[in-house]
Amino acid sequence: MGIQEQYRTDAANLLDSGAVKLVIGYGEGSTPERRRPIFIRSAEEVGRLVLDANCIANLSAYLVPEGLLSDGKSVAVFLKPDGIRSVNILAAEAQLNPEQVVILGFNIDAGLANPLPGRKANEFAPLLASLKSAGLSTDLQREADRLEQMTAVERFEYWKEQFSKCIKCYACRQVCPMCYCRRCIVDVNQPQWVNTSSHTLGNFEWNIIRAYHLAGRCVACGGCDRACPVNIPLRLLNHRMSKEALDTFDHFAGESADQKPVLATFRQDDPETFIL
Amino acid sequence: MTETFEPKIVAFVCTYCTYAGADLAGTSRMKYASNVRMVRLPCTGRISPMFILKALQKGADGVLVSGCHPGDCHFAQGNYHARRRWTVFRSLLAFTGIPEERIKFSWISAAEGAKFAELINSITDEIRALGPFEQYQELQKVIETQSTY
Repeated sequence: MGIQEQYRTDAANLLDSGAVKLVIGYGEGSTPERRRPIFIRSAEEVGRLVLDANCIANLSAYLVPEGLLSDGKSVAVFLKPDGIRSVNILAAEAQLNPEQVVILGFNIDAGLANPLPGRKANEFAPLLASLKSAGLSTDLQREADRLEQMTAVERFEYWKEQFSKCIKCYACRQVCPMCYCRRCIVDVNQPQWVNTSSHTLGNFEWNIIRAYHLAGRCVACGGCDRACPVNIPLRLLNHRMSKEALDTFDHFAGESADQKPVLATFRQDDPETFIL
Repeated sequence: MTETFEPKIVAFVCTYCTYAGADLAGTSRMKYASNVRMVRLPCTGRISPMFILKALQKGADGVLVSGCHPGDCHFAQGNYHARRRWTVFRSLLAFTGIPEERIKFSWISAAEGAKFAELINSITDEIRALGPFEQYQELQKVIETQSTY
């Protein structure tokens, strides 16, 4: 039995037994290689679930809408390792109770989806520890190194060109499981911190503050990169922040549900090389 | 005759240490550069990175953020939290091409009036040498010319 059949059966069993009230998974999308999130509430519908190497979106973002988990019932969700890390972060930030999240874990390897054993976020701890020791993406690091070898003026020009394309659609925010604030800083208008129109300066501010708010929280699912209609390399900014959190504070986002958020904690002996 | 460039520097300081240190510099009649505009806040932990971006947006050539030495915070741990944020934010600014030489961080206690005066003088000299932050300010000018519709 393939992984898709197996997980359809698992989803049907979970729904039939009443263990979960909802299954969040992938369904057919608008083109053969696209998948869209679907929400299954009864066992008869599990035939709509699809699981293959095209299922790349991080579905953990669908766990945080207000009221979904407030009745104490559980929800099952298809997650890759990055999504499992997101669930851990959301739990650490008190946005959900990980006991209410049943994980249908899978990994995409060499064009195939493979099942990951485990049902609750804490059962994936060894997997996440191995991800931490494997380190961050070397491809992104190569690109980050290239930028860091430039002068500040050249780097500014590079980002100016990138950010000038931004149309402030906020798709990067909407797709991100970490952007759950009821009132985002860009929507605050007294004072107006970030200019609302999409000129380059306001775009700079928005993209800087977005990346900053993801410091030590981004799991590199790449959702923002894929959602961006003008192809700004958002993942690169996030990567730089993840690297800072990992190198300076040994913080690998979403390692466990009781990991303290990196900017909400401190050590007395944190490095301070730059302070006069 | 060419006028020397006088940088605008915005200083975000905590009221318990650096602001008191600045006060001491003043009551001790120490002279320091008049390029700095101070914004007093309850604690360095209150200083949002948005403040730094806003200062640059409004035409600052340099920003100073300063508060109590580690262990001296009036609120016990505000400056420890601030230190982590600065570490991360500073690297982000550098990565986006906003020179880290323009954003300064320091610890100045209420007793360090002399250190305050010296620091203000030295960072004013440094930022004067860097010149105005034209790359950023040009973007603001674009907005001002466009927003007349």
